[in-house]
Amino acid sequence: MNTPHILTRRNFFSTASGLAATAALSSLTDVPLFVQKALAEGGLGQPDANGRVKKLLFIFLRGANDGLNNVIPHGDDAYGPKIRDNIAIPVDPTQSWNVQGKALFPEAGTTGATFAYPYSLPLGNGFAGLHPALKFLTPVYNAGELALIHRVAYPQQSRSHFDSQAYWETGAPRANMVKDGLLYRAMVESGRPGKNSLTGVSFQNSLPLLLRGSRAAMTNLSDPTRYDLLGVPNTLEGNLKAGRALDAATKSAFPGKVNRDLLQQQYENMRRTLEIFAGMDFSETGNTFVDGDKTDGNKPYYLFPTTNAKNGAGPSGNTNPGYVVPTSAYGYFNQLKSAALVLNKTDALVAGTQIDGWDTHSNQGGVTGAHASLLQRVGWSIYALRQYFRRYADQCRWDDLVIVTLSEFGRTTIENSDNGTDHAEASVMYVAGGGIKGLRTDATGKVTHSGVFNCGPSDPVAWQTGMNGSMFQSTGRYLQRATDFRSVMGKVIRDHLGASQEQLNRIIPGYADPNQSLKSGGIQSQDKVRITGEPDLI
Amino acid sequence: MKLIYIGWMLGMALGWPRLVAQTPDIVSLTWTNGRPSLEFRLVPSVSDYRVRGTGTLGTPGSTVAGKQSGTFWTAEAAADGDSRFYRLESVPLAAETVRASTLLNRIAYGPTPDDLDRLATLGTDAYIEEQLAPEKILENLDEPTATGPVWRKITVTGTGSSSKLYVYLSGAGDAYLDDFRLIAGASDTGTAPNLISNGNFEQPLAAANWTTTTNTANSARTTDFVQGGNASFHLVQAAAGSTGTDAVVQTIPTALNASTTYTLSFWYLTQSSSLQLTVRLSGSGITITVPLQGDAESPVPYYARLQDGRATIGDLRAWHVLHAVQSRRQLAQIFQQFLENHFVTEYSKGLTYFDERAGLPNAWSGPESTRQEFKENLRWRKAFMAPQCTFHDLLKISAESPAMIIYLDTVLSRGDYDSATKTNRIANENYARELCELFAFGVDNGYDQGDLEQISRAWTGWTVELLSTNQAANPFAPRTTVMINSGLTNATERNNVTNLAGLWSFRYRTDRHDTRVKWVFYERDTKGNILTNSPKTVPARFGPPWAGRTYGLKLNNGSTTNGIQDGYQILRHMADQPFTQEYLSVKLCRLLVHDNFHHGYDFTDSDTSPEESLVHDCMLAWENPQNGGPKGQMREVLRVILKSELFRNPNTAAAKVKTPLEFAASTLRAFRAVKPDGTTTATADAANLVASGGLLDRAGRMRLFDRADPDGYAEDAGSWISAGTLGERLRYVQSLALAGAGLASGTGVRSSPDSSGSSRIDPSALLTLRLTNGANRSAEAVTDELLRLLFPSEGAGNLSQYQALAIQFLNTADNGTTASDFSRLVPGTKEYDGRVRGLVALLLSTPRFQEQ
Repeated sequence: MNTPHILTRRNFFSTASGLAATAALSSLTDVPLFVQKALAEGGLGQPDANGRVKKLLFIFLRGANDGLNNVIPHGDDAYGPKIRDNIAIPVDPTQSWNVQGKALFPEAGTTGATFAYPYSLPLGNGFAGLHPALKFLTPVYNAGELALIHRVAYPQQSRSHFDSQAYWETGAPRANMVKDGLLYRAMVESGRPGKNSLTGVSFQNSLPLLLRGSRAAMTNLSDPTRYDLLGVPNTLEGNLKAGRALDAATKSAFPGKVNRDLLQQQYENMRRTLEIFAGMDFSETGNTFVDGDKTDGNKPYYLFPTTNAKNGAGPSGNTNPGYVVPTSAYGYFNQLKSAALVLNKTDALVAGTQIDGWDTHSNQGGVTGAHASLLQRVGWSIYALRQYFRRYADQCRWDDLVIVTLSEFGRTTIENSDNGTDHAEASVMYVAGGGIKGLRTDATGKVTHSGVFNCGPSDPVAWQTGMNGSMFQSTGRYLQRATDFRSVMGKVIRDHLGASQEQLNRIIPGYADPNQSLKSGGIQSQDKVRITGEPDLI
Repeated sequence: MKLIYIGWMLGMALGWPRLVAQTPDIVSLTWTNGRPSLEFRLVPSVSDYRVRGTGTLGTPGSTVAGKQSGTFWTAEAAADGDSRFYRLESVPLAAETVRASTLLNRIAYGPTPDDLDRLATLGTDAYIEEQLAPEKILENLDEPTATGPVWRKITVTGTGSSSKLYVYLSGAGDAYLDDFRLIAGASDTGTAPNLISNGNFEQPLAAANWTTTTNTANSARTTDFVQGGNASFHLVQAAAGSTGTDAVVQTIPTALNASTTYTLSFWYLTQSSSLQLTVRLSGSGITITVPLQGDAESPVPYYARLQDGRATIGDLRAWHVLHAVQSRRQLAQIFQQFLENHFVTEYSKGLTYFDERAGLPNAWSGPESTRQEFKENLRWRKAFMAPQCTFHDLLKISAESPAMIIYLDTVLSRGDYDSATKTNRIANENYARELCELFAFGVDNGYDQGDLEQISRAWTGWTVELLSTNQAANPFAPRTTVMINSGLTNATERNNVTNLAGLWSFRYRTDRHDTRVKWVFYERDTKGNILTNSPKTVPARFGPPWAGRTYGLKLNNGSTTNGIQDGYQILRHMADQPFTQEYLSVKLCRLLVHDNFHHGYDFTDSDTSPEESLVHDCMLAWENPQNGGPKGQMREVLRVILKSELFRNPNTAAAKVKTPLEFAASTLRAFRAVKPDGTTTATADAANLVASGGLLDRAGRMRLFDRADPDGYAEDAGSWISAGTLGERLRYVQSLALAGAGLASGTGVRSSPDSSGSSRIDPSALLTLRLTNGANRSAEAVTDELLRLLFPSEGAGNLSQYQALAIQFLNTADNGTTASDFSRLVPGTKEYDGRVRGLVALLLSTPRFQEQ
């Protein structure tokens, strides 16, 4: 087909005006029919009764996170050196595990190192512990704003990284004809793409499948400080001439070819993105966000550790006995900061990034090591994002946000001969936000409800213990799922972002099929596994 | 008014091979003041759109004068009469032109101007056959005699500010110098007496001629390299020099006169170095600073370091990119990158292994990991030089490569009996999985988890060890015992890997091997038990000759050194299965044709697309090579694709998007013509393009030889195109075309390059070469030439808007508004050059130049 180009907006390089552009609901003339229909249905992307727009931040843990060493089933005798001689996380012999209550936060104090505590952190449900590298999750957990969902996967699990990541991202496992991402579809249902605003934004090497689709372009940047597109002819005159010419060139008509629609949409999207980003401060000097609370027994620290001086340290130079994240994580925290800024300062609905390196086939490590180093990133990310959106809220408050982590599968229950783990099935999802209901207390402060899902003594789909239990239930080697990841994503997209059930059925096609049991749970029809349905977390 | 819209093709009479062009549909016809105006759909590869009009149906009609802009055509004059019929004709671009463009964009890193000319006379069929036989193409890029370190002469004129001559380097390093001459006068005809004492270094160094200082104390006369005579000077600089106290100095015996003009000349040996050599008189009456780096484009120094085993990963990348830009064996180069990316390994993982596991010092680990990456690439390159190179040959190289053994964790995998647990150790599945999923069969294609567990056991014991040089190809050899320094007394030091001479190589450890029988590709019962009488069968969808074949493989090589055969038998067995044939054929079609090929076609049903047919043809060529010989000959498969109708189709031209590597190389090649003096109009600073902050890093983090994920870098457009990566591509283009080009200030040009480093293009020089008789001063001629060079498959009929835009750009001043006639600009001036460069930057920034 033809690609007639209808790029009629401002000059490529007009700058700050782009900031003012929000979803202009009054002008629906350029919204395709299918989107207008959707708009009438749900509240996705629209202000709620209080004028707030709900948003989502995702962090994809690529390579497959070993969930059994995140939220650790100490209540299951089978977990331990027997199956994980080199990588099992031990329990503290001085701690009592049967106490119901809040999770342990081992403060570093002024002398010990941040991550000096070498044992699992009791989560207060008498069964599960948290990897000590995740200690910064416990303040969020104890505030009742973090759900730890264990045993998450999907039917007929693929153990290929690439297929399984694709299934998580399309939200349509084993449906290889679905080529677009589930968050992309959510954005389309919001009716917002195609307007002069941002919708879904990622900060990583390339646009993830989560945000890819053929009808609208989402945004990805690896380095948002380089928004001054024509950085070389640096004067107004040079920019004007080049900018106008390029604007005209992108409007020129050509015969349709395989990738021309994609290029056209992304050129337009680039223009729009760069306009909006020109008015924002992504720079290192702009990274002044500081914790409001005392962190880890010392004074408040920078929230986004992007340099040694901002890692476990505050603006007045006060430092922690140790870094709060590995020094190799600065690039990632820059991207995470960018995602947070975009959600807070623009009308973007979804933003996110990823952490690579989870494919721990060899030398995974236990309390310390490669996997622990990755977990430190996750723990601090969720802690820091909570503090950022509580203290620096502009267009997005902590109550307006939900953070989800995704990872394509879990890893083998038994370690391999390289002190690592291989590809398996179910793993852990973290869901956090001001509106998330995790741990709950009564008026006296007594814990009435744990924030741990699927890893406790009274799970709806019970954790079977022992060498024939849940950890070995799938083909004798893998942790079997108790919840479908689509039920978690669906719950968040409908009950937080505001999609109608009809919209959700289009965003996650499995919802339209009662045999999948995604909403209410039951026996899943394809592999006869009992699942919980949507977790009660919003 | 009667209207009939007819789209009609003019191109059918062009003879074989005919273009499969589409008919342009007319969308609407409107009238303005009696002038007809058509809106229509563009079709690929059209040199012209014409409109014929007639008052009487059934007559051919006559061409109506009009103007086309994009999808619109408007008549110049009002129609006569009130009833006219119009039909639209498209004149297709010559089939050879389209195919040449597609070839140069797919089996080469983009067309060079010279390539376009060459293919126009050589013909595309001949080019395909030439490129499919790279061993017959003369290639001497890596040979020192061609472009390597050379003696280069420098001549500089100035005044005799002092009689003290200083020679020094900008940092620690060394250089070779010879034949210094200094004469009075502005030019040296060779007759005037040399004022410098012992300028040819034929005599020993002495206080009367050359003296050294602390920083140059190790400098000496040498016979290692000479420019003339029997000796030269080896300048060794311990720390940066800047003046007489840290240089090599000569007090010229005959005092110079400050008001006299002198000419100094000397020779230096170019080398791969970032240092600068300065030769000057005190007071700088005569001064010259030159980079030691000779031809920055030469892969020779990189190759020399790679051969030596002391290269960095940056050296390997630069070497690879320089070949991409310059090699005449372009198809071999493309295929090399395909293999490197298909059998992906990660440099960083190798580095970590050598550093943390093998006990090498950190400074050695990078070069060692680089050497492993280089070695496997050399082996692939050599294998493809054989006419009957098979996929099995290439697969085996990958499996044996220490880079792969480390990357997918085979190196530590064990399957031997563990007396503590009373079971065999569990093998690492990583390599087995990716062998099936990514290197041979394709995901879930003919194997399952049970097969992976069996296969993973076959690779237990495959490891990497430091073997003595003469045993490096013997996987059963023990660790080398040859010591570098046998005088060490401490036993630990003596046996440390840092004191052992040898090469890190593939080693097979029988003691780690799982020697039990392996049943690969056998069916299982519901409890997971292997049915040893039921080998798996090729599914029906493959059709003849494959469907129904059994392909079970029982490995029973026992406990001796024979266990190494487990792995080799699996490779042999898998290499030519239909699953591998299908998976690789699809991947090659995606590389060479377009992105939309799929796995899992049903080759037996009646619903057959051209894509499915092409994949099937590739598989047949794999199974039954036309010229006999073994199955799986890569050239046979490539030939099927390149000669297919689908490849020729104009819809295939420009249907793919360039990867960052392809984009970088193509921007340079597009402006790279050879001048009569042998130099080129574009030069690549490859080291910078592949460095951190260079284009490949910026535009999607394409870190060559260092991909973390085993799926390799993507071929599809969606993986490379987003707001951020497009922005980086545009920045690079601006940097390449404008920054650092020495343009006048005030034209809005930043002077320091960004992600293009020192890569240069000289479009004005290119236009001078190609447009004679002053045509390089015509905005129209310049525009048409650039459009033809950059978008050769599009055709002028589809470039009408770019053409109008470019002409307007050339005729507009830098402020973007004032008219400024291009024909009044003088070639050779900065104003002319700046105008041309601005246009080039624009054209390289367009969506169309992202395509290949």
